[in-house]
Amino acid sequence: MDSNSTFEGDFHGFNGTSFNGTYGNSTNGNGTFTGAEDKVETIPISFYTPVLYAVILVVSLVLFSRHYKQQRLRQLAEQPDIFDEHDAEELYREIKEMSQTQKVHEKVLKAALLNRGAEAIRRTLKLKELGPQIELMYKSGTIGEDYWERFKAETKVVEAEFRDSIQEAEALQPGWPKLFATLCQEICFNQALSRRYHSILARKEVCIKEWDLQLNSDGTLKK
Amino acid sequence: MSLLYNENSKKLSLPEERIEAAKAAGSLEALEINLEQVNKLAAGIIGESNPNFTPQPNDERSKMIKSMFESGLAQLKQQKLVEALKNITLAVELAQRSRMPYEAFAIQLQEIQFMMRHKIDLSLLTGRFLDALQDIEFLMNTGMAQSDVFIRKADALLKLRQYQDAAVCCERGLSLFPNETKLKALMHEIKRNLAEFNGEN
Amino acid sequence: MALNYDYDESSETWPFFLLTVLLMAVLPLTLLQLRALFSSDSDSNNSSSAEESELSSLSKKYTPPATADFAAKFQHKGTSVLLSLRSLLCLVGWLAIAFLVQRISASGISGSMSGAGAFDPYEILGISSSASDRDIKSAYRKLSLKFHPDKLPKDLTEAAKTAMEEAFVQISKAYEALTDEAVKENYLKYGHPDGPQTTSHGIALPSLLIDSRASLVLVVLYIASFVVILPYFVAQWWNRSKMYTRGGLHVKTAARFASCLVNYKPSQVVTVDMIVHWLSRAEEFRILFPGHEPLYFENLLQDYLHGRDSGSAKENEARLRCVAKCHTLLHGMLEVCCGFRNLEIAIATLDTFKCIVQGVPMSRDAQIMQLPNVDAAAFHEGKVDDICTLGKLFTYDNDKIGKILGIKDADKLKDTLDVAAAIPHLQLLRADFVVPGEEYVTPLSTPYIAIKVLVRSAMHRVIPTDKFPAEMLAEPQDFEHMKNPFASMEKQPVLPTSYAPRFPVPRRNAWMCLLALQKDVRILQTPYKLERLSLANMHNHLDKRTVAKLGPDFDPHQWEVASIRMPLGQQAPQEVGAVHMRVVIKATDYFGADLDLTMTMDVREPPRVDEVRDDIYADDSDDGDDSEADGESDDEDSDEEYTDIDTDTDAED
Repeated sequence: MDSNSTFEGDFHGFNGTSFNGTYGNSTNGNGTFTGAEDKVETIPISFYTPVLYAVILVVSLVLFSRHYKQQRLRQLAEQPDIFDEHDAEELYREIKEMSQTQKVHEKVLKAALLNRGAEAIRRTLKLKELGPQIELMYKSGTIGEDYWERFKAETKVVEAEFRDSIQEAEALQPGWPKLFATLCQEICFNQALSRRYHSILARKEVCIKEWDLQLNSDGTLKK
Repeated sequence: MSLLYNENSKKLSLPEERIEAAKAAGSLEALEINLEQVNKLAAGIIGESNPNFTPQPNDERSKMIKSMFESGLAQLKQQKLVEALKNITLAVELAQRSRMPYEAFAIQLQEIQFMMRHKIDLSLLTGRFLDALQDIEFLMNTGMAQSDVFIRKADALLKLRQYQDAAVCCERGLSLFPNETKLKALMHEIKRNLAEFNGEN
Repeated sequence: MALNYDYDESSETWPFFLLTVLLMAVLPLTLLQLRALFSSDSDSNNSSSAEESELSSLSKKYTPPATADFAAKFQHKGTSVLLSLRSLLCLVGWLAIAFLVQRISASGISGSMSGAGAFDPYEILGISSSASDRDIKSAYRKLSLKFHPDKLPKDLTEAAKTAMEEAFVQISKAYEALTDEAVKENYLKYGHPDGPQTTSHGIALPSLLIDSRASLVLVVLYIASFVVILPYFVAQWWNRSKMYTRGGLHVKTAARFASCLVNYKPSQVVTVDMIVHWLSRAEEFRILFPGHEPLYFENLLQDYLHGRDSGSAKENEARLRCVAKCHTLLHGMLEVCCGFRNLEIAIATLDTFKCIVQGVPMSRDAQIMQLPNVDAAAFHEGKVDDICTLGKLFTYDNDKIGKILGIKDADKLKDTLDVAAAIPHLQLLRADFVVPGEEYVTPLSTPYIAIKVLVRSAMHRVIPTDKFPAEMLAEPQDFEHMKNPFASMEKQPVLPTSYAPRFPVPRRNAWMCLLALQKDVRILQTPYKLERLSLANMHNHLDKRTVAKLGPDFDPHQWEVASIRMPLGQQAPQEVGAVHMRVVIKATDYFGADLDLTMTMDVREPPRVDEVRDDIYADDSDDGDDSEADGESDDEDSDEEYTDIDTDTDAED
């Protein structure tokens, strides 16, 4: 609504310079159509005409900008999240909530917080790695502006997420945050390692299907 | 949408309806992994008496894993390949299961890579080429890019009759290690097979 | 200067104005229409050439009836150029122009008046502009004698008399303009000896619009067009341009694909099924069929790939509409993959492309399954050897192939073999990094990639590279080529329509060329799309079943060596040494037509003027191991002559 008031201000200033224009004041010099001279007609224009014009203009601009802003917000809300899930964060919140009504071991809460911190670190690294590539894609027109905006916002979200985790750590155990951050880093890498290890089985199955392999139960090839 | 908490085991689990909902949304896997990670971490922390525990590796667990691995090596010396493979697999499994995520990553990585290399060799020797291939992929995924990894991967792919993939792997190995004679020999073998596969001889 | 605005009272100027506006709109439109008309003509000319008709008529023959109906239903609109709405608009436009021209020429005498305005004293006096004072005087004297009112013959008509008098005034004025100082100044300043003339500026609107009553309408119209209509269309255009990416993908689709890649975990195996799963999230599908979830589209696509019935006729049609969208979507996804520099997923995307175009699932035998009439069950049951490729298939004689594929009918078998033999395969002959005008790649130079391939049929016997003389494999050295090495690629014929009977839209095959660094297997640049390549070799006779060995009578000049040249998106590195790159050339439409090679860019110091070239080569082995992989390689790489890996990647023996 701020923009509206400045518009009004501008508009008054604009109105000050009155239109004592040259309507109907056609100067026919020693023209070729001398007959036209006595037929000049003055069209009476009310003082309110420019006012009306300006009001229509301002109102339509304001309406448009409001509509546009709403549409942008809706579009941004429709954008998919950069990351598919926020399980680590949600789990921590749920457990914290649960601990208020039910007896939960304090270390379970700590574990969930460490998991959350580790995930935040993973996301920070991931975003840092992808940042230049996504920026390049945005500049070359491969992805739209919305996604780029969303991506930039996500960088801040992830930062805030890690800061929040540190604060929670301080609340759970005063003086812990420094060690907490180190632990999170180790956890982040080790979890990545173990996710890869645990995917081996599933990968094998996909390969058997993709390559149409005939295996014996002990894993050797059937002849 | 809530969680179930078992006060005795200190473990969290998902209620039935939440599993169903997550499955429908296709997000169950990620959720289960996260829950498993929290449970594992919790179990580990509860075991720690010092609230300011550090990322030091646990000596007791290191010893256990080491002894299991060494028993595998001993069997290898006696040419009991299948048994050796079994024990080394168990050692790898043990390391993954008992090590805590906050124990130093550098040490864990080194440990598992070292054991995995032996496991891969044994898998290849005993004809378990798919197992070997996936373990090699794991190694490469953890940033290992030595020439012997490429040799083993190309070999496994060749044995699995994935000639095109084998050639691609071999060529990459050769561009990183241009003087590796074993890779050159493998490349020759793969080309021969590929020509046969494409009916080009 | 006297200025004077006149409305177009006598309706003289506005037809001109309207004519200009009309021509501005109608001319380009007509040209576009004509071009569309001619290009569709030449298209049909093309298809009458032998190679085109062969595969495309087979493709038509094996198109399932439902797909053919679908194609007829959705493609007919575009085909008749003559009867489209645009042509109608053109016609109306030209009619209006004709009317205007007629009207202008009817009232057109006024045009001559404007000519009188220009005043040139030299012309009036009939002398050249370089004439001397004496010439001027004598010319004036002669003319004034002729036109002087007192010297005029008596028997002239009134009109002729006035004309003569007028001419005399002009002559006097012209003379004065050239001799009298004051008049001359007037002439130089205002272009007329009498001083400033009135200029009249017309506003090209018919007078009826300016009448006091109609002026309100005009103002409203004016406001409407500039305040409402123009911004509306600009906004529409802007929104639309922001709605789709450069590659023609809906921005939401592009965002979802990007999201898939961000959330992709390296522990997943990249498969065609995964790509189809990602593909099903495209916004384009939802626009076509609102209210459906991605799972619905994924099932439709999987049904299509596996040749299953999707339930109802309505769903089968929906499925074809989705499939018809897929090639744009997959090109978009490839672009996103390359943006994320992920080679593995890019390759899987192109495999998915083939699957979708051919309507077969990804499998080891996909090369066989893309052929018509193949009885999959019989093929799998009777499998004796490991036959997965067309090349292998053609090592057997025709009857045996019929048995292997389970085809009993002789005509059907012929069609199958025709298709199998007509699928173009690429055989690598040579691949180099070339810097125009240089012998080898020097630091910070701008090389391009030149790959020599032999386009051949799977039926042909392999021709080893050494059968081709060196000049056939060399890059041209003429100036035209060095100026633009890629120009000659444009002269190749466009690839013909593909054999893709299950795909609802006619397809033209293309090869997508991906370039990645071997060090980290990351894609270096946007894919290069190869759409032009001569398939002349496909008709050569070199059946591997009848020609056991290439004899001395083999003539390499009967074969056309094709060049694939693609620009390198960056300069050569500053340091000397070898950079290894993987080039993946994948066909979009056919299985088995791909090429995967490693190329080595050997960056060397430019030769110093006073030094022999050999010395430099020896020089570089000392410091030749930078830019090499940073793996903990314990063996020192001495720079052996391993630069040949690029040329021997093909199966030559």
